[in-house]
Amino acid sequence: MHAEPILKVENVVKKFGEVTALDGVSINVNRGEIVCFLGPSGCGKTTLLRVIGGFYEQEAGDVTLDGALINGIPPEKRDTVMFFQNYALFPHMTVYENVTYGLRVRRVPREAMKKQAGEILALIQLDGMEDRFPNQLSGGQQQRVALARALILNPKLLLLDEPLSNLDAKLRSYMREEIIKIRENLNLTIIFVTHDQEEAMSIADKIAVMRCGLIEQIGRPVDIYRYPESTYVANFVGSANFLKATVTGSDQSGSVEIDTHMGSLKMTAPRKEYSTGAKVVAVIRPESIGVSFEDSSNSSKSLKGEILRGSYLGSQMIYTIRVREETITVNLSDPGEEQIKKAGDTVYLTLPEYIHLIDAAKAGEFFD
Amino acid sequence: MVQSSQAVPAVAKRKRSYFARKPLQSFLALAIGVMLVLFIVIPILFVLVRSFGGADGFTLDYYRNFFARPYYYRALINSLTLATTVTSILVVFCFMYAYIVARLPRGIIATAMRSIAMLPLLAPPFIFSISLITLGGRRGLISQVLANLFGIEFSIYGWTGVILAQCIGLFPLGFMMLENVLRSMDLNLEEASADMGAGQWRTLWSVTIPLMMPGIMKAALLVFIKSIADFATPMVIGRGLPFLATDAYLLVVGQHNMEMAAVLATFLIMPTMLIFFVQNYVLKDKARTTIGGQAGGTARIKMNPLMKGLFILCSFISALFIVSAFGVVFWSAFVVIPGVNNTFTLAHFSTRTGVQALVTSLKIATSAAFFIAFVAMIQAYLNLRLKVPGSKIKEYLALFGMGVPGTVIGIGFILTFNQQPFKLTGTMFIIVMAIMCQYLGVSLEAGISKLHQIGPSMEEASWDMGASKAMTFFRVVLPLMGSSFLYGLIFTFMSAMTTISAVIFLVYPGTTLAAVYILQVAEQGAIARAAAMSVVLITIVALSLFILNRFTARTHLSRL
Ligand SMILES: Nc1ncnc2c1ncn2[C@@H]1O[C@H](COP(=O)(O)OP(=O)(O)O)[C@@H](O)[C@H]1O
Ligand SMILES: [Mg+2]
Repeated sequence: MHAEPILKVENVVKKFGEVTALDGVSINVNRGEIVCFLGPSGCGKTTLLRVIGGFYEQEAGDVTLDGALINGIPPEKRDTVMFFQNYALFPHMTVYENVTYGLRVRRVPREAMKKQAGEILALIQLDGMEDRFPNQLSGGQQQRVALARALILNPKLLLLDEPLSNLDAKLRSYMREEIIKIRENLNLTIIFVTHDQEEAMSIADKIAVMRCGLIEQIGRPVDIYRYPESTYVANFVGSANFLKATVTGSDQSGSVEIDTHMGSLKMTAPRKEYSTGAKVVAVIRPESIGVSFEDSSNSSKSLKGEILRGSYLGSQMIYTIRVREETITVNLSDPGEEQIKKAGDTVYLTLPEYIHLIDAAKAGEFFD
Repeated sequence: MVQSSQAVPAVAKRKRSYFARKPLQSFLALAIGVMLVLFIVIPILFVLVRSFGGADGFTLDYYRNFFARPYYYRALINSLTLATTVTSILVVFCFMYAYIVARLPRGIIATAMRSIAMLPLLAPPFIFSISLITLGGRRGLISQVLANLFGIEFSIYGWTGVILAQCIGLFPLGFMMLENVLRSMDLNLEEASADMGAGQWRTLWSVTIPLMMPGIMKAALLVFIKSIADFATPMVIGRGLPFLATDAYLLVVGQHNMEMAAVLATFLIMPTMLIFFVQNYVLKDKARTTIGGQAGGTARIKMNPLMKGLFILCSFISALFIVSAFGVVFWSAFVVIPGVNNTFTLAHFSTRTGVQALVTSLKIATSAAFFIAFVAMIQAYLNLRLKVPGSKIKEYLALFGMGVPGTVIGIGFILTFNQQPFKLTGTMFIIVMAIMCQYLGVSLEAGISKLHQIGPSMEEASWDMGASKAMTFFRVVLPLMGSSFLYGLIFTFMSAMTTISAVIFLVYPGTTLAAVYILQVAEQGAIARAAAMSVVLITIVALSLFILNRFTARTHLSRL
């Protein structure tokens, strides 16, 4: 079903002196996709983007764009365009000159150039500003000029380095919409870098979570959120309860029995089979746990706990709850007044039916 | 800061003590102001007035004479031609050199290349004429080779020599300015250009150079003034070609024709005036800042091989010239007759006058360095933090003094201080003042930009934590300004050791300075003795630079 991916990155290694910024990274990007590199600062996102753009040359590994190997080809000869974190608008050129720079380099005839520039400026609502200099524009307008300058070249791949991080909240959501709209209109393939998981989730078709120069997991936002392959990924894309556990029984239907500090639990973990005795970590998102303040013992899965702490955030209530030897966090959305309890009160928790288990090997910090 | 109600009287008291200290500030501000007027404004006014006849009444006769006599007129044309040529050559070569250095990864090669470019700062700029004469003079090495092998009569004297010697001597100036500009450039802009398909030549033409234009202009103008102001190089190697600065000097020293000297000096000062105007009115409006969020990127795009080759070749040629010019000075200092009798000798070093001159130079350079660096720090503080009225004008004056050709300052000083009530010629003080006039601006700028960079927040933090203003000044401000103080100290010392154009008018037989002595000896044709003396001078300057550098590194001042 998949056509040949437009970009293939295979085992790319990039070093800066002693520092290994990329340590064997592989990723495929399909035509028309928005892919996001997500990870904490310093994990190598910019470096990977710059290797793809041709600004850095990798020490090892291959980069293939649209079927052609592009190792060592300089940026001016690659059909990719980068959108720089600081926009990199030419301060000595007008908006029009900035936007048409790439066309002038390509010796596009004046009339055609004018037409294209008009279209692109209209698309991002900058018509009428052609003769201004960048320092006469607001931050948001500058950003749009930079975007127009990249889009006009109709690149095979648009590379965006933290495009939203310098913006205030309002502009940020506006730009987010803009990027999605542009993708739909121009059918572009976009790679963008961010350290903000929410941003990644809301825009990307596919997220690559990075850690220390490696891609830890690639998948759709829902895969990353619901089925993280490691505690690192689970942690990075949201808060989670990690229950250290041992598998005590499992069957074909996906039902597993695990032994935790909260006692023995019987749940469904449909993704994989587990052998008895395997060490695992169960991932339970705080918002997936049901809370009640009366003992509705009709559910066999109801667990009794004691509130250690509660914080009221308006849209939700966050409780830290002790259940036997385990401490877990629970989010209660849209809490009513009667649901705001104090420390020491008793609560009854209902765990979700489905659970995601991570192998001990991918949860280093829990098993030393 | 927690403001309790008891803190209010304390604040009020602090305010009063600030007023109580104001007399000191006012006194300092006034003293510096008087000094600047007396030693920068008045001498230059004296020159201008004298060119129109001075005390004998207003007349245009001297200007009429200037244009009537082809010789002087020629000097004007020659000076302009020389400065234009040297500036064009240097802008191109320094640009390529600076580009290579700025884009090279930090490391031994970059450091070595930068050091080589700065090397000429260690010596009086005219000594490169000495090397050129050794190589290309009538009996010079290269001339002999050319004569013997090809029968070509080659002589470095005249235009070739003057241009080459100035290019070497002024190289550091152009290089430093352009390297600075290149380093402050946002590399993302060049990357963006490449990303959109522009090749590197195209990027250079349509992005890098246009963005650097203000900096290139500034560098070019500075080189231009320095070239016009240099009277010593034509004297040693120009053999008879008339140039404004050289002839102004000769008119004073040889014929005592102060009026005509003043006319020439007036022409000499015009480029400075022009530059001042351009800098403050024309370039200011075009100041371009980086657009957008954070500046910079550390990326290095590989240079295209052709461009890289060309740039490296030109940088290599420049470096070769500088290094061999230095090498030849050292070599001529240590052999009997360079190229003829290459036996090692120390004979050229035995000169009592030379040693005396060196001692005087050291004394003057040290006092000038401390005096000027202190005045600069005080003025910077008065200027930026205490906002004493008139500070801006003083800053302008100091900067202006920096651009005035030394010859003009020298002539002005003679006109002003050779008679009562200011009979000061023949004293060390007047020499120090001449140096102040020319170099205060550099230290002052360093102090001001440092204070800008520090920002008042640290002082505020210090007050906030309960330190008094005085304590804040000594504990916070001074240490933070330490690096710029040291910079001023080093720079002034080096300049004072090697300067010549103003001080040569002010020395008296008993008080000769090292650089002046070298020029006199070289002019008499005693090239080897001049070289030997230059070696000593270079060594002293390099050594003091090294010691101060060490000191700076050890006290962590370098990181400020
Ligand atoms: N030009 C460079 N020179 C040296 N080290 C670099 C350079 N660029 C990045 N690094 C290092 O490589 C690692 C990854 O950097 P980067 O890709 O910028 O991270 P991110 O964009 O994820 O914050 C960091 O440890 C950083 O210090
Ligand atoms: Mg980054």
